[in-house]
Parts: sequence; structure tokens; C-alpha cells
Amino acid sequence: MNTDPRLQRPRMPLTELPTGAAGRVCALDGAADVCQRLREMGFCESAIIQKISGHSTLLCQVCDMRVALGEGVARHVTVELIRG
Amino acid sequence: MNPPPTQPAPARAPASVYALVGNPNCGKSTLFNALTGLKQKVGNYPGVTVERKVGTTYTQHGHPLTLIDLPGTYSLAARSPDEAVTRDVLLGRRADTAMPDRIVCVVDATNLERNLYLVHQILDLGRPVILVLNMMDVAEQAGLKIHTSRLEHILGIPVIACAASSGRGLIDLKLALSRTDLPLSRHAWDIPPAIAPAVSELQASLQDNDDKPPLIARAEALLLLTDQDSVRVAGSTPLSARTREILQHWENRWAADGTDWAAALVNARYDSIGLLTADIVSTASTAPVGPSRSDRIDAWVTHPVWGWCIFGVIMATMFLSIFTFAGIPMGWIESLVATISAGVSDLIPPGELHDLIIDGAISGVEGVIIFLPQILILFLFIGLLESTGYMARAAFIMDRLMSKVGLNGRSFIPLLGSYACAIPGIMAARTIEQPKDRLVTILVAPFMSCSARLPVYLLLIAALVPEEQVPVGPKILIMLLMYALGTFGAFGFAWLFKKTLLRGAPPLMIMELPPYRLPRIRDVLLQMIERGGLFVKRAGTIILGLSIVLWFLANYPKVPENQPEVDPLSYSMAGRAGHALEPVIAPLGFDWRIGIGLIQSFAAREVFNSAMGVIFAVEETGDEEETRTHLRDALRAAERPDGSKLFTPLICLNLMVFYVFAMQCISTIAVVKRETNSWRWPLFQLGYMTGFAWFVCLLIYQVGHTLGY
Repeated sequence: MNTDPRLQRPRMPLTELPTGAAGRVCALDGAADVCQRLREMGFCESAIIQKISGHSTLLCQVCDMRVALGEGVARHVTVELIRG
Repeated sequence: MNPPPTQPAPARAPASVYALVGNPNCGKSTLFNALTGLKQKVGNYPGVTVERKVGTTYTQHGHPLTLIDLPGTYSLAARSPDEAVTRDVLLGRRADTAMPDRIVCVVDATNLERNLYLVHQILDLGRPVILVLNMMDVAEQAGLKIHTSRLEHILGIPVIACAASSGRGLIDLKLALSRTDLPLSRHAWDIPPAIAPAVSELQASLQDNDDKPPLIARAEALLLLTDQDSVRVAGSTPLSARTREILQHWENRWAADGTDWAAALVNARYDSIGLLTADIVSTASTAPVGPSRSDRIDAWVTHPVWGWCIFGVIMATMFLSIFTFAGIPMGWIESLVATISAGVSDLIPPGELHDLIIDGAISGVEGVIIFLPQILILFLFIGLLESTGYMARAAFIMDRLMSKVGLNGRSFIPLLGSYACAIPGIMAARTIEQPKDRLVTILVAPFMSCSARLPVYLLLIAALVPEEQVPVGPKILIMLLMYALGTFGAFGFAWLFKKTLLRGAPPLMIMELPPYRLPRIRDVLLQMIERGGLFVKRAGTIILGLSIVLWFLANYPKVPENQPEVDPLSYSMAGRAGHALEPVIAPLGFDWRIGIGLIQSFAAREVFNSAMGVIFAVEETGDEEETRTHLRDALRAAERPDGSKLFTPLICLNLMVFYVFAMQCISTIAVVKRETNSWRWPLFQLGYMTGFAWFVCLLIYQVGHTLGY
């Protein structure tokens, strides 16, 4: 993995991704069954997510599909910002 | 490459049982309706209340085929009771449903990669599969080109391009269904090496100890490693002890060395799907760019401010329709029942049997059937909102509010439905994934003022407010107050339960918002008729029985002929029960006559009105409005033994509050028993709701009485 800080993109929970920005999924933690379902629905590592709207409940676009994620789920999805 | 294995086909007739599976929102139900039309049977899987839909379609040669429409799911690793049923039927785990001979997989062509995940799991089962690429028209509009024949070649199974909403591709599908031989898929994928030993060990155990055929055993082994056998529902055959032991052993071992094998399996499948779709999907250069129509609608509908306004308008329209349009067909039902009663009166001479049929059976069933129009309108609206894709947005908007009390947005739909009747509302709670959230939703749903409380509110408000002098405003205000009280009660108790009794993880909502579509009127109407039919069936059985029992209680035992001064009602079982209840309800300001009404309300709350009619001897007229006016005057005139008025404004108000909070509905208790599979929760619900109602009414009456009202 590249450890040069200049090449590292900022990482954050999906809840903190700015509205309208796109991020790449880096890690999923939290309950096993939730992670399983997230992965099955396309939120696997390296998937690109665009955050459309929402404050506590988020609206995201992931592989041509619109998904509502509760805060309790989105907190466990770590993304790196790729487009602000 | 070896020639693809084919199914032995000794019989001439094609295999007769097909299962229809697919992701939610892939158009599976539309396809099911298009194939089977009105030849559908809707029921429940025994022990779990997951809707079981079975239909009949015909081959090109006219042989009947059975089609089972399984609940939509994203994966065989189930997270809710609905999904568990799909998994169990496909794996042959259910004793009540034989393993289907063949499987029809429906996928949304606009989102092939995600949809193929389930197909990938199903191909592992080693059953004959037909793949239906639905919504090809939408995919083409979006500029997607899908090479169906190439996919067919790679997978080695029939792949049919289809648009169920316009009927395109249905003939091809019927031809495929009619085939006597269906090839098995030749698609193979590599199980990650780290997991392979576990898979083979589990597979061997499933074959030896659970009597599974080899391919099913392999698929089930893969599944057990991801879902850890977590969601089990009634009617599903449990695993053998040996298999569970092996599973436990591997879980412990992986937990120790920190391998995320579940993630590895999902990723391996997606890698395999990625290779598959790389060659068969291409995006045309003519693909539209910029936000789609759904995106533009969503910009308004999910907006933090406008979203709420639109939501409010839709809800208001729905309730106005329920309370206004339903009046017309309700009038028809009333006159129909009046005609039947008159006919029966002519046939049967006055006497016990006459009274039993007219006052017991017919009017009891009428009291429930009268709500059919309102329930149908509610189902119509819910169906329209679901099929346009709005319902998911409503749940999204409500999620924030619901999460304040510890529930998620999905609980909104059952609570909304409970405004018409708690029974369909409670049944709608099945889609909630977390068992505790589902239970909390079921426990609080009956607080939402159902349409059966409406006639009681109307009568008591009429008795409370002299309508000749007061404009209509205060009446509506009191009515709204009652609805608000119930809603606050539901939210308050949901919060309390999530804090104490059913403390659980914070709500986790993952919900797909399907693209907006024009509603499929035919599907909506079919669903409305099906659900309405179930309601009528219940009215014809449970309610009929209860009405007859209540009639006996209110009429027997008869007063002996040598004691004509005794009041027959007071002497009857119901009267005695009312007297027995009096000490409990006297602190609330209610007397034994109101007690009889409360007891009878257990059949259905609106029975209160007819009970009051019987008790205060009001003559029934053909017109409901007129009867209610007579009844209102009778209530106003009613006195206690000491000559004071019985129905003072305070008592009327208190009685309404009691109806808001108390659990007084046997049908709801029966449904909750069925949904939770135990007597514990319905009895708890009966206790806490009625107890709460009692305390609130005690408070209101004692405070009001002290203040001199």
C-alpha cells in the first residue's frame, strides 16, 4: 500500500462525506450480517458511492442503484474522497 | 469442454412446479401476474406469516404448470422472515412446500451485475434454471446493450429477454417453460482456496447427516458459511447436530486467525460475475447523459423541505379519500344488509332463531364488512404508492423521525396501514428485518386509531357537542385530538420498549429506492382484491362466530317468568359481566351499562354503538345517520340511579380516550399471536395497552371530577 501522505486521499465515514461528493469504499466494519448484505448489494471494497442527500439518513447512488442508508449503517462504511 | 449435462427426461409432460425468484423491484410480481392472471392462490406458509402465492399457467400444449412466487430477496443469506422462506423453499428445507422442480430467475436488466449475484447463488443449487432479463425496454432506453445470446452461451441455460409490463418476451418464456428437458448451467467458479476445505467438510456432513443431494449440499455449505444459519423461521427443518458442530468449529477457527471469509466469498462471487458481464453488457454512445427522470423527481421528493410538503399532501389526500369516497359503497353495503335482513325476517317467524340471525349473525358481520370499502381504498393507495416507487421515499423521509424513537423508516408503512385497520398494518411489519424492531412495531401498531374506532368517536362527539348550536370546527378538532393521542401513544411506547424491554442495536436501514414508474393498475387492483378477500374471509369466519357468542351472552339466561320486574339485560351473562366489571371501571366514571359496551367491543370496537342501542332501547332505522341521532339523544337522556346524567361531557371524553388506548379487538390479538408465534406477546399487548388506558382515564376522571366537571 502506498504510504506517501501526499498520495493518500482523505478517509472518512460515509456519514461525513459531503453531499454531492463521490467516494470509494475502503472498509466495512460493524455487525457481520449488515456487512454481508452491504457487500451483496454492491457496497464492497473499491465500489464507488455518490452521496446524493440526507443528514441522518443518507441517499446514495451505488452501481446504478439508489439506496437509503440509516446513520447506524453509514457510520460503519469508511470511504476515501475521490471527487468533491 | 464436456457437453452440458442434461436433466433425465423420462416423462413427456414438462416438470410441473416452477419457483419464481428475483431481487425486490425486479418486476417479478408483474411477470407472475402476466403468466397466471387470475389463477392465483394467496395464503400463508404455515407457522410464519409470509405470503405464499401460487398460480397456474399453461404450456404451449395446454399442460398446467404450477408457479410459486417466492418473496423477493437480494441474496440467499436471509435477513428477514420473508427472505428466509425463499431460501428454505429453494433448499428443500420446508416440509410444507416440496422443492420446486425448476427455477425461473428474474433479473432487472438495467442493473445486471447486482441482480446476477442472486442468480449466481441459485446456479450453485444445480437445478434447471431459466434466466429472464426483465425490463429490457428500460435498459434499451438507458442505452444499455445486452448480448443475450452470448450470456446464454456462457451460462448454458435459456436466457430470455423480456419486458413483462408490455408483454414482450412472454411467448419465448412460455416456450422455455414448456421444454421437457432443460440443460443445467455449465457455469463454474472458484471458491477461494482458504474456504474450500470448510466447504467440502460441511458438504460431506450435509450429505451424510442431513440427507441432502450433493449439489444442494454444496450450495447450502456455502450459504451456511455466510449466514451462519442466523435467520430461522418456523417450518424450516433444522440442521443435524454434527453439521452444526462442524460449522461451529470452522467459525471458531476463522475467528481466531481473523479471516473475513464471508467477505471473501461475496467478493469471489462478484469477481466471477464481473468476468461474466464484461463481455455481454455495453453502453451505447447514444446513452442519455445527465440526471435521469427519477433523479429529477427525487430532487423534489427527497428534499428536506419540499419532501415533507409532498408527503403531507399525499397523506392528506389518502385520508380524505378513505373518509369521503368510502361513504358511498358503505351505504350500498348497508342497504344490501338491510335487504337481506328483511328477506330473512319474512322467511323466519319472530322468535329466538329470528333474533339470533338478525341481531347476532347479520348485524355482527355487517359491523365489520362495512369497513371493507375503507380498507380497499387504503390498499389501493398503498398499492399505488408501492408500484410508483414512492413508498420507499416515504420510508426514507420518515426514517429520521422514526429513528428518534429507535425504529427505522420501514416501520412507517405498518403504522400507516394501522390507521385503517391494525390487522393489515401488523401483517405489513413482515418486511422489517430486525426481529426486535418488528416486534416493537407490532406491539404499538394498534394505538393508531383504526377505522373501527371512528363510529365510536362519531357517536361520542355527537353526544358531547350539541350540534345545533356549535359549528363543525370543534368536532373535527376533537377527532384530530383523538388521532394525535393514539399516534403519540404509539411513538412513546415504541421509544419506551426500545429503551427497556426490547433494547437492541440502533436501527439499521438499508433500502433500495426503485426508479419511479407509472403504476401497473392491473397489479395494484389484483393485490387489492386479494387482500380484501382475506379480510372478508375473516369476517365470515371469526367475526361471525364471535357475534353469535356475544348474542347468546347478551340474551341468556332468560329472566324466569315469575320475576317480571327484573331487567332482562341485567340478568343476562353480559349484564352480569358488566356488573362484575363495574367496581373496576367505576373510578373512571363508567357504570355497568358502559361496561357491557366495553366487553362487547372485543368483537370489534364499533359494536359499542349497537350495544348502546340495545341497552338504551333505541329503535333501529334503515338510515345510519338517523339511528345515530336517536342514539345520541338516548345517551344524553341516560341517567344514573341517583338521577344525575350518565354521559356528561367528561365521561364522553374519557370514554373516547379509553377507546384510543385500550386493546379491544380479538381479531388483532389473533393476528399478533400468529405473527409472533406465541401467546406471550398478544397477552402482554392486551395487558399493557388496556392497563395504560385505565390509568390515563382514571387520571382524567379523578382530576376532572375534582375540578367539578
